[in-house]
Amino acid sequence: MSENPKRYWMSPVSDVERDSRDGATVPIANGDPDFVTTRRSFLKAAGFTFAGAVAASCSRAPATSAIPYAQQPEGVVPGRPLLYASTCGACEARCGLLVTTRDGRPIKIEGNPDHPLSGGATCAVGQASLLGLYDSLRLKGPLRRGQQSTWPDVDMEIAATLERLRQEGGAVRLLSPTITSPTTAALIADFLGGFKNAQHITYDPISASAVLEAHALTHGRRLLPQFRFDQADVIVSFDADFLGTWISPVQFTRGYTSRRRIDGGARQAQGAPTMSYHVQIESRLSLTGSNADRRLRVAPGELGHLATHLAVRVAERAGIPFAADGLAASSMEPAIEAIADRLWTARARGLVISSSQDVSVQLLCNFMNRTIGAYGTTLDVERPSYQRLGDDRDLAGLRAELSRGEVAALFVAGVNPVYDLPDATALAGDLRRVPLLVSTAERPDETASLATFVCPAHHYLESWDDTEAVSGVVSLTQPVIAPLGDTRALIESLSAWTTGTAQPALDLIRGHWERAIHPRSAGTSDPAGVAEPFQTFWDRTLERGVADIAPRDERPASAPSSRAPAVRPFDQSAVLAILRPDAPPSGSFALVLYPNIGMLDGRHGHNAWLHELPDPVTKVTWDNYASFSPTAARQLGVEDGDVVRIGADGAQPIELPAFVQPGQHDATVAIALGYGRAGTDRFASVGPPWFEARRQTGLVGVNAAALVTTTEAGRRYSGRTVTVATVGRTRQLASTQIHHSLAVQTTFAPSISQEPRPIVQEVTLGELSGTSATGGAAATSAAPPESGLREESLWPADHPYPEHRWGMAVDLNACTGCSACVIACQAENNIPVVGQDEVRRKREMHWIRIDRYYSGTDAEPEVVHQPMLCQHCGHAPCETVCPVLATTHSDEGLNQQVYNRCVGTRYCANNCPYKVRRFNWFDYPHEDRLQNLVFNPNVTVRSRGVMEKCTFCVQRIEEVKIEARRLGQPVADGAVKTACQQVCPAEAIVFGDLRDPNSRVATLARSRRAFRVLEDLGTDPGVHYLKIVRHDPAAADERRRG
Amino acid sequence: MLATALAVSLVTLAAAWRLPGSNQGYEPVQPIAFSHKLHAGEMQLSCLYCHAGAETSRYAGIPALNVCMNCHAKVTTSFAAQQQAQPMESPELRKLYDALALDAALMPVAGRSPKPIAWQKVHRVPDFVYFDHRAHITAAVQCRQCHGSIETMDRVRQVQSLAMGWCINCHRDVNRTGVAGKPVHASLDCVTCHY
Repeated sequence: MSENPKRYWMSPVSDVERDSRDGATVPIANGDPDFVTTRRSFLKAAGFTFAGAVAASCSRAPATSAIPYAQQPEGVVPGRPLLYASTCGACEARCGLLVTTRDGRPIKIEGNPDHPLSGGATCAVGQASLLGLYDSLRLKGPLRRGQQSTWPDVDMEIAATLERLRQEGGAVRLLSPTITSPTTAALIADFLGGFKNAQHITYDPISASAVLEAHALTHGRRLLPQFRFDQADVIVSFDADFLGTWISPVQFTRGYTSRRRIDGGARQAQGAPTMSYHVQIESRLSLTGSNADRRLRVAPGELGHLATHLAVRVAERAGIPFAADGLAASSMEPAIEAIADRLWTARARGLVISSSQDVSVQLLCNFMNRTIGAYGTTLDVERPSYQRLGDDRDLAGLRAELSRGEVAALFVAGVNPVYDLPDATALAGDLRRVPLLVSTAERPDETASLATFVCPAHHYLESWDDTEAVSGVVSLTQPVIAPLGDTRALIESLSAWTTGTAQPALDLIRGHWERAIHPRSAGTSDPAGVAEPFQTFWDRTLERGVADIAPRDERPASAPSSRAPAVRPFDQSAVLAILRPDAPPSGSFALVLYPNIGMLDGRHGHNAWLHELPDPVTKVTWDNYASFSPTAARQLGVEDGDVVRIGADGAQPIELPAFVQPGQHDATVAIALGYGRAGTDRFASVGPPWFEARRQTGLVGVNAAALVTTTEAGRRYSGRTVTVATVGRTRQLASTQIHHSLAVQTTFAPSISQEPRPIVQEVTLGELSGTSATGGAAATSAAPPESGLREESLWPADHPYPEHRWGMAVDLNACTGCSACVIACQAENNIPVVGQDEVRRKREMHWIRIDRYYSGTDAEPEVVHQPMLCQHCGHAPCETVCPVLATTHSDEGLNQQVYNRCVGTRYCANNCPYKVRRFNWFDYPHEDRLQNLVFNPNVTVRSRGVMEKCTFCVQRIEEVKIEARRLGQPVADGAVKTACQQVCPAEAIVFGDLRDPNSRVATLARSRRAFRVLEDLGTDPGVHYLKIVRHDPAAADERRRG
Repeated sequence: MLATALAVSLVTLAAAWRLPGSNQGYEPVQPIAFSHKLHAGEMQLSCLYCHAGAETSRYAGIPALNVCMNCHAKVTTSFAAQQQAQPMESPELRKLYDALALDAALMPVAGRSPKPIAWQKVHRVPDFVYFDHRAHITAAVQCRQCHGSIETMDRVRQVQSLAMGWCINCHRDVNRTGVAGKPVHASLDCVTCHY
């Protein structure tokens, strides 16, 4: 593969340094003097073991009982999974779900393919939310001043206070996150309607209020447009991490990758392959930035200035006047010029977005989108999104009222303001003075610990709920398990406080749907416009999970005619140029706070799966950190893990470890929000129980919310000027970025370790279309290019594959690195969490990992994400070295690992060139009986001392095969979906039978982009990768300059 | 002394030779003295009438009590008792009715709810083995092939060893001979059962 001279690297730390800082050198025991084995104690132990073995061999297997139902419910067959259509409650994006239950308990979450927004995909957080259901720290019942209480008692006291307030007229406030549920919104309105002075305040822990404010100014309505990435050919994103965490990442990733797919699809048939062009202008290297075709590294204060430059150029091309006199010059102007060209060429197929909380930046985006005509194609304001509705002005108003002690009753439903908001100490003090503070938190969190009453809500898998995430897309959440504790849905609590009796959530939702939702369904299910009966509509929606209905009528009641437009004509007067960048003073840094892909705003801080999920870019687990560019780190003299103190005017300084991040702007420091949640010190005991799982006790990470800036217009996450000082301590991060590297280690072979190995491969659009013009036949029919080495293979061709050869194709051009597959695999295959210290020792157990490679300079690297899993080699190096035949080749091309035969020599892991085998160093604790309910009963829970690895979800293969045989049908292509494939929002993974030449996977394996990793070793892998596609450097953006 | 102990243990071992953990010959007492000999043998009920899951699920399943009541709502006495002048309710059936919270007239007892019966599991494979009844029923393997002549047993006994060698031998044999005259493909891959 010498024609691919690009060098890839995984870490800015050099190989030599890496070897010396190798995670495997972390000591296991700290020289405990009591733990010394003498000859005597050894013989004692040996004798006991022998006696035990003899006793065991005489015994029978333990007696177990089989308990059938007394009355078996209809449709339930023990051992057969039942799937329920539902809606995800892990964030406000509200993707559609199919929840798999086995014998009455949910064991796996899958996406609902019928859902128009998420289309069968989910994200890592959605997958992991299942674990939250079985969290033993969830509240078991209501609390009254921190003590266990009962619902009647709590309701009585709350009702008494509310009755007094109804008469006296004290201020009643309800604080909630964005409410996507129409029923909940209606019940909140009912509840608050009974008071003279009541208000519902909505805030999003990660606010997007500037987008809504900007649309209020330009469109006359406070709305969040629905972003249609599936329509966008040119995307310009000012700092919005829309593939990772921004608003609705699954929906956006699906749309985005649908325009980046090269093989298959209609776009290829029309001629030369094309794909969308994505520009990311940002300060830190986000997941979205790592996928961009063009990435501009700017300080947070430059965003508005560059947006103005772009707006001026777009307006110039459109011939629209846009006043920007005295606009300061920028070094980025050539790049901006080229971007303007691209945008203007794409016109309505362009999209400019920003996650900036500066309303003037959002106004500039609106102006550009309007100028290119994107409203109506890539931005939908007729069917806006309801996924972010928070209003930071209302929140500021509430905080002012609280500080004046004017609030008589505050209901906190689903948010955690003491954790989320800056200046938390003052807020906590104010909240203590509120006479009636009610929280509906599932766990005793920072806010609930101050509450007079905690009325815990259900986990969303235990609850009825409904959602309208985007206008006209309504979906239902149905309970898939009886509540594990004495908890109550929010709407039931609201009805109890409004009417005096808690009505069942199902009745409330059905009632609201009959009144308000069903009338909007007329004509959507039946073109003739005949309304179906409510029961039919309800049953159909419940079964399918989601229904398309007419968009919500948002016109004010005073609208002159029913045909008035939903928004008023674009008002440009508010759009103002930002004439110069806002640069931090020299010597200080501009702060960027961002939600991390697993933790988001911190609501999943008790989820061990998400803590152990490596960040897609930095690959750090179990911590947050302050990341610096390599240049900044050199200037500060810090390395990974050196603790720095971040200070800002008017905020408590915070201390956290540094991390060197290529691609970050030199004058910025980036910190993830969502860490440092109260109660996360519980994770000190994750992992083997006889030694500390985390040498650092205390909370997981540090809460950075104190550094959020509150301005009049809203909360801002970036741009604050901070000072950075080293404190002389280190706190070793658990980063997996150099674990399981496919590179040859310097210490083993200094000469060949410098050679690039063909691990990831790239191709340009020009190369693809150029060859397809000259040699089109080769593009479709020829076998993948083979290296000469394979001709001389020493392996005999002794695997005939009589029926199937299972294989996989992974499209690197589609994969965004979002890591949903990692958690999906963890949930499906009972993969244990090992804890922070064990991750440092390279003992994380994930069967699929995302290898992230950089190429280019460490200032402006290009990034490749490569999912790496067992390659199921035709000639597997692991198989030949197993002394007990615990790993062998199946007749269907699977490299099978037999746990009960494995004796744990680990020879196989050493001989695996892909480093995908995982060893159970310990019996990872299963003491939490409740947590064990999450296990998939179709997969063995492995014990200490055995090797494990990806099985291609063989339990799913077997299930489909047996079911097909039972029904007398062949196994259809696409019938077997592995867990990683099912979850993937980018549809980057295709699984199937390579032996069937017409299967999708076989077609992709013959594609011109196909290659196999380290194929020259002769391993004949069953996993085919499709090369990442880059836009041509020839058509690059600077071409026009001159 | 040591030699004696060794000899004794060897004799004991030889007398009760089983592989460690093997349950061959296991015949636990069940909470209700249900007789397969009566139901499957004399009455000739199909196995799948009660163990319906065997066709559609991994597990054959133990019938829920409402399946028993399909007949025993009417049949409340044994054959012998029916011949007598004063037919009396079978004491074993009373356990069934008690579990379902039914009184002597088979009417629900107020304030009590049905409770399932904890049968003793006879045929059990270890947790790392995934046996699937569906595949075997589809291939027309007879129940008695693995479970023995259940229709002759009052109390069910594990006849076969259920050890892996026994499984594999059958899989090898049927690949040569077929099942019930039809050729079959019984996989010998490890992952057929272990995952």
